[in-house]
Amino acid sequence: MSDILKVENLNKSYGNFTLADVTFSLPEGCITGFIGINGAGKTTTLRALLGLTKKQSGNIQFFGLEMGKNEKQIKDRIGIVLDDGCFYEELSLAEMKSIISSAYTAWSDQDFKRYMDLFSLDPKSKINTLSKGMKMKYALALALSHNAELLIMDEPTSGLDPLIRSQLLKVLTDYMENGGKGVFFSTHITSDLDKIADMLILINNGRIVFQEEKDFLLDTYRIVKGDVNALTDEIRKLFLSISETAFGFTGITKRAAEVQSFFPDAITERPTIEDIMLANIGGYKK
Amino acid sequence: MMLFHLLKKEVLIVKKYVLIMLAVAVLIPPFMLWRAPQYTGVLGFMLSVIFCVFMLLQYVSLKEYQFPKAATLLCATPYSRKMIVLSKYIFCMATYVVCCAIYGIETLVIPGLGSCDIKLFVLMLFITSVFIGVYLPVQYKLGYEKTKFVFMVVIMASPFILPLLMKMENVNLDFLSLLSPILAYGEITLLSLGLLIISIFLSMRFYSSADLA
Repeated sequence: MSDILKVENLNKSYGNFTLADVTFSLPEGCITGFIGINGAGKTTTLRALLGLTKKQSGNIQFFGLEMGKNEKQIKDRIGIVLDDGCFYEELSLAEMKSIISSAYTAWSDQDFKRYMDLFSLDPKSKINTLSKGMKMKYALALALSHNAELLIMDEPTSGLDPLIRSQLLKVLTDYMENGGKGVFFSTHITSDLDKIADMLILINNGRIVFQEEKDFLLDTYRIVKGDVNALTDEIRKLFLSISETAFGFTGITKRAAEVQSFFPDAITERPTIEDIMLANIGGYKK
Repeated sequence: MMLFHLLKKEVLIVKKYVLIMLAVAVLIPPFMLWRAPQYTGVLGFMLSVIFCVFMLLQYVSLKEYQFPKAATLLCATPYSRKMIVLSKYIFCMATYVVCCAIYGIETLVIPGLGSCDIKLFVLMLFITSVFIGVYLPVQYKLGYEKTKFVFMVVIMASPFILPLLMKMENVNLDFLSLLSPILAYGEITLLSLGLLIISIFLSMRFYSSADLA
């Protein structure tokens, strides 16, 4: 599998925040979730990838092409969904579409109409009359109507109700089935990723913590619950994160087999992505 | 072609005001003739151009300020930042050309406005170039709010500048006719274009290095 996006040693700092040596890659054919808490650096990374904020150093390649030298060509092959409010809100959907569509060489009015119908959007409506969910659907219709090979989305499900979120996730899986080469989306709502992601990248404090396949993560990590009296410092080291009360402990570990050898009677559970994320950034408590 | 669509975008986001400004461009010269005939001609045309170009540019900037992420989305598409900057200048110059055309037609149908003189258009091209040549790079560097403040200061200083401006009617532009007309107008036009090119270059540089919202 070749990489459709490759980021090496991306650095960017402003104010008190620094993206430090961000390195990851997106294999072709995967839906990749870019996870992290608010302020972890997700949006800054996406913006640096798209040239919306200037990187200080680092190498970014889309489809094997250097971003700095092939920006226009690369952007022509990418669909973008930014967080809420990225339109001239006083325009109608048709007017905004006429501006965006002209930028793309492979724009398809037929595809756009299909998505508008699918999402029950009226081209004559003003953008400022749409709900947040409808705006997100409209953004998706724009992003998917020019045969984009890669879809990049910044917090697309944030603030949306469960029904719209599930519709959106369905559109993403359909997009991949219909020839899309990849989806890369940032989110802090990890339950969405439980459903559709193939690959996960965790960022915290501007640094990449891990990049792993979702199934590998879910198979590797375990939540362990047991008697607090049996805990020793040596055993505690086997956990990424642990919370203790008078009644017992709950911890998350990557070394489940070793832990179980100390606690044969302990209860082990399969974690969610949120559990894994919080354990890795030190915020796990259950 | 992309530039044309970006220009269309500028018109679309201020479409409510475009007709008003067209009316202003049409009405100012005859209004000046009616209410202040001594200021008809240079000053009437000058006011209509400054008013239309400045107000429309202000409205465009206001809309960009109100919806900053829209420009971010445009920059995430194949539209380049340089092209986005260039479209602003073309929008301003297109407004100037429309004002010239309106004034030209008015001088044909309203005899009191005087003749349609090329030196007037050249002079206004120079003034417009100086105005947007300064305004746009400052705005790309400082942002909408700070630029508004800077220009507010300029406007507050206008009571001191206005008396000089009022004397414009007495400014003798005949020195231009002493020179070979093609040479004089050509030089001023070239100077205006030179100013615009430098300004466009600066604006592109400022906008290209800006971190977008």
